[in-house]
Amino acid sequence: MSLRNTLVISAAAWTIAITALHAKLNPDSIRGLEELVSGALGKRDAAKEKFKIGFLPVTCHLTCPVTDFINQQITGHGAFEPLRFNSWPELKEAYLAGHTPATFILAPMAIALREQGVPIKIVYLGHRDGTAVMVHKDSAIYKMEDLRGRRVAVPNRYSNQRLLIFRALKQAGMTVHDIDLVEMPPPDMPAALYSKSVDAICSGEPFMGQTELDGYGRVLWLTKDVWPNFISCALAVREDVIKNRRADVQALVDGIAKSGLWLDKSMDHRMSAAKFVSKNYYMQDPRLLSFVLSKPPDRVKYTKLTPLRKDFEEIEALGRESGILKGTAHFEDYVDPSFADSATDRVEAWNFEGAKP
Amino acid sequence: MRDETSPAVGKGAGAWLQFALPVAVAALFLLAWDAAVRATHSEIFPRPIDVARGIGELIQKGLLLKYIVASLFRVTWGFGLAVLVGVPFGLFLGWFGRAYQAFNPMIQIFRPISPIAWIPVAILWFGITDLAPIFLIFLASVFPIAVSATAAVQNMQPVYLRAAQNFGLSRGELFRRVIFPSCLPQIITGLRIALGIAWLVVVAAEMIAVNSGLGYLIIDARNAGKRYDLVVAGMVMIGLIGLVLDLLVRRLETFDEVRWGYANRR
Repeated sequence: MSLRNTLVISAAAWTIAITALHAKLNPDSIRGLEELVSGALGKRDAAKEKFKIGFLPVTCHLTCPVTDFINQQITGHGAFEPLRFNSWPELKEAYLAGHTPATFILAPMAIALREQGVPIKIVYLGHRDGTAVMVHKDSAIYKMEDLRGRRVAVPNRYSNQRLLIFRALKQAGMTVHDIDLVEMPPPDMPAALYSKSVDAICSGEPFMGQTELDGYGRVLWLTKDVWPNFISCALAVREDVIKNRRADVQALVDGIAKSGLWLDKSMDHRMSAAKFVSKNYYMQDPRLLSFVLSKPPDRVKYTKLTPLRKDFEEIEALGRESGILKGTAHFEDYVDPSFADSATDRVEAWNFEGAKP
Repeated sequence: MRDETSPAVGKGAGAWLQFALPVAVAALFLLAWDAAVRATHSEIFPRPIDVARGIGELIQKGLLLKYIVASLFRVTWGFGLAVLVGVPFGLFLGWFGRAYQAFNPMIQIFRPISPIAWIPVAILWFGITDLAPIFLIFLASVFPIAVSATAAVQNMQPVYLRAAQNFGLSRGELFRRVIFPSCLPQIITGLRIALGIAWLVVVAAEMIAVNSGLGYLIIDARNAGKRYDLVVAGMVMIGLIGLVLDLLVRRLETFDEVRWGYANRR
């Protein structure tokens, strides 16, 4: 056979075969393509589509997969579509491009986006606490002052973990110039601490617990010791969606609130969540989530999630001090507490005891 | 371009060695890797056996085939579109000097930009669908293909053209029977390099929130606590499939239409 015939025939056969196989093995991918095409053709009805919600595989966003899973178990289908990202920039870009009408996001990042004119409103919190500062177990660092001149890693410029470090430094009578602050994606932090390329790491769980579980990390402090009821992430929704789909947003906030109450109701619930979330959403070893959700039990909390003015004003002030916020957006600009207020009065924990077999 | 054994080695031994030498090097590499991990008592970096177990686990869960297919699907479409656009465009630029002058600087500006830098654009245009990684793979491979096709036309021996003109070939025939065939060997070499690049960027392309693929496997495993065995498993699978892809493209070079281009290297 000539080269041309061989090429054309084999390329066509290969393309058809791999596309068919992909459609069979990864139906989600193809569904996304269909949506994009029908959207481009103007056949898409956004108001009827399931809500897509961006989240990362961290405990700060745990209520997202928990709500989806319990929804599916109770009603047989999810009320919204959780979309797992792997890092902050992609999560933020998908939100900005309008592909995720709602997303779990770092609180200071949401405020900064608001300052930059993005129509974003925080409607609920993701969690309370759930961040730690870890050092290497062989190091001689036992208090904040020992970090003088050392390298400390935080997840992102707009992370509340960075503000947390600012606050802890202030409490110890130091400033950010006394340490070497670097930005690093949380998944890379454990290896960086292990190899001692950084002296301390600070991010949301489970990356901190992982270093403890694997035997080379030591807790310098947990957020509850330095900044009680610390918030790193919140649930944010686009303003047009708040206006046009109030019932859906309320259902979402109710679901998240129910999951929070459910998670904090008993340790059995937490262990069950560790199992089904690790298996179905995070692809992690369930031991890791079990560890950070239980040792100690108040390492991360999922109740009292209504966004409060005083908490955010504190974040704003620290944000201005550390140079990431201009101070042009205020609580009423970037928070819509009405959904949370409504949920607080009505909502109770899910009536759900473990996954159906 | 087939590997010829040295004249001192007999034919039978040559065929055997052709297989045994690379295997021996790979085995040595694995032994050195294992020894290095054990010597440094690393708790993070996996040993080859851990990686093999990790691959076993992926097979057991039915994920390995799923991920390989997803990555190959994206590379097939990204690279395929790059060939369909890059080869004609490259030939066009090679043939028309003015067009080359006009477009070449733009191509050279776009060419060195890493696909990672395009991720925000990809998300903005294509959302979090398969089209975003396909777009990134397309971008990474289209420029090398176009550049090699352009160079192939520009480097064509003028004697072919003069001979063709003497035969009074029409424009269409000239292209079909002279220009394209004479450029083919160089185009194929360009495709081989571009396919390597397309496969290389699969990890970067799958940083977008797709939920399948070998690149996704690596990024996902970094999120999954201490699962560096799966990170390396992803690397190993990407490498092995890259080897197979290269062997397949090299098969193209055995066709007569291409082989003549390497005649002086035989």
